[in-house]
Amino acid sequence: MKFQIPIGPQHPALKEPISLRMTVEGEVIRDADLRLGYNHRGIEKLAEERTYLQNIYLTERICGICSHSHTTCFVQGVEALLEVVAPRRGQFLRYLVAELERVHSHLLWLGVAGHEAGFDSFFMYTWRDREVVMDILEMISGNRVHYAINTLGGVRRDIDEALRTKILDSLGILRARTDYYFKLGANEPSFVGRLAGVGRLSKEDALALCAVGPTARASGVAHDVRRDDPYGIYGEIPFEVCTADSCDVLGRTVVRIKELGQSYNIIEYLLRNLPDGPVAVKAPRRAKPGEVVSRDEAPRGENIHYIKANGSDKPERLKVRAPTLANYAATLARLKNGFIADIPLIFAAIDPCICCAERTVELIDGRSGRPTVVRWSDLRRRAARRAGRVSKKRNVECPL
Amino acid sequence: MRIAGFVPELLRHLFKKPATVDYPFRKLEVPKDFRGTPFLHPETCIVCRACERDCPAEAIEIVEVNAAEKRFKMTIHNDRCVHCAQCVDSCPTDAMEMDDKFEISAFSRWDLKEEWEYVRAVVKPKPAAPAPQAAPAAPVSPSPVKPSESET
Ligand code: SF4
Ligand code: SF4
Repeated sequence: MKFQIPIGPQHPALKEPISLRMTVEGEVIRDADLRLGYNHRGIEKLAEERTYLQNIYLTERICGICSHSHTTCFVQGVEALLEVVAPRRGQFLRYLVAELERVHSHLLWLGVAGHEAGFDSFFMYTWRDREVVMDILEMISGNRVHYAINTLGGVRRDIDEALRTKILDSLGILRARTDYYFKLGANEPSFVGRLAGVGRLSKEDALALCAVGPTARASGVAHDVRRDDPYGIYGEIPFEVCTADSCDVLGRTVVRIKELGQSYNIIEYLLRNLPDGPVAVKAPRRAKPGEVVSRDEAPRGENIHYIKANGSDKPERLKVRAPTLANYAATLARLKNGFIADIPLIFAAIDPCICCAERTVELIDGRSGRPTVVRWSDLRRRAARRAGRVSKKRNVECPL
Repeated sequence: MRIAGFVPELLRHLFKKPATVDYPFRKLEVPKDFRGTPFLHPETCIVCRACERDCPAEAIEIVEVNAAEKRFKMTIHNDRCVHCAQCVDSCPTDAMEMDDKFEISAFSRWDLKEEWEYVRAVVKPKPAAPAPQAAPAAPVSPSPVKPSESET
């Protein structure tokens, strides 16, 4: 017998408000459906009312973990529209922060994977070591999470020799710990036993469902925007694209740990070859009419921003395709024929960022099957009708 | 690795100091350029409104108190401020600065407002070619001769 059970948007097993509808037969998931929109914040619309400069800080808040990826993607696009090129030192620092962010994001993910697999010591250790990167990021940018280091035409802060040496020294600690995690993650029988074979996604499916980032790379698809379509200075940095062929959650763990090693190499390369000079150039405030598509490789995969300029100092349209959105289709495919107990693990394996990927809903008329447009006035009328039915709360003070 | 290959690591950590600090009793130092809360040096503000225009959170409000005396009042709404330090970068006279406080919670959002009332300063803005310290601010510091444009 089949049942449909709702999971989320508020559920104790999930860290973020995912809303799933599962059709289950016993313990086995037969079908999965995803509902978006619970956490929609209207950032794309808000961006149309802010200047390019203000939008840097807005796009930073699309995601709390890959905040720098979103600003980098946005700033790259706007710089193309404004026809400015960031100076080399500025670019080195920009991508230095990007790689540090990848390190912190992957270490965070390792901890989450350990936690979801019931290996909480692993979670504690990775998160403790992540503090090394967080401290570096705080020293570079002045904040732990929203670095606010990008600006139009470069970066806002420079690093000095002492900080450069300090980052290079910290890399030693991180490398040693990552080697240990690799040994542990790939060999500890209880951990491997929990992850191996869970959430399989074949190479063909990964390609057909347009998976991105470590999700695709763990299925043997060697896609990485940094190598396939090098942006900024990535064309000159030597690094490898890490893949795995096991197609399961274990493969995703291995890919991320290997990528950590590559990121350490990139950070070392950037710091050793850091050119002298200014970190930013002056950028105009207004962009000529035009449009641009900018992509970058966020820790979770390919991130795309589309920006349309109309000649003013505000974008006419900003469209964000965060990596999680691209991975949803693949995730639903992986949930099918899996067990309910694996849902958190399978979802955690794409490193989901729910608010990055939230989209508004389209209302479909149940009778005609056609999409309908609801106006603000309609919504108000419906709300008033609904409010009329509930008893009035008296003496309620509105705080705002 | 055998089962419980993790145990030596666990034992080693038994004899290590905790990685965390006892927060309310001991506090971590913030780094040198920490972005805390913005504050104004009223004696150097020329009321060019660059900070008001560039603040992404619309947290800065400058109103004219007395036109004849050239008195202005700046309010920083810290309940809205996102601590990005863009106002510091935008200010042509370095009148804005960030402090290093991070314990800024309050019981009401209205307690988070900070106000300064001052007479407009007559200060020369920073030179066009900024010193290395000010270099990051260069791309965004607008020329202070265009304040009227920002108000429109
Ligand atoms: S720090 Fe940022 S958000 Fe806060 S007042 Fe300054 S510009 Fe506005
Ligand atoms: S940018 Fe500086 S000088 Fe201009 S109004 Fe703001 S604080 Fe005053």
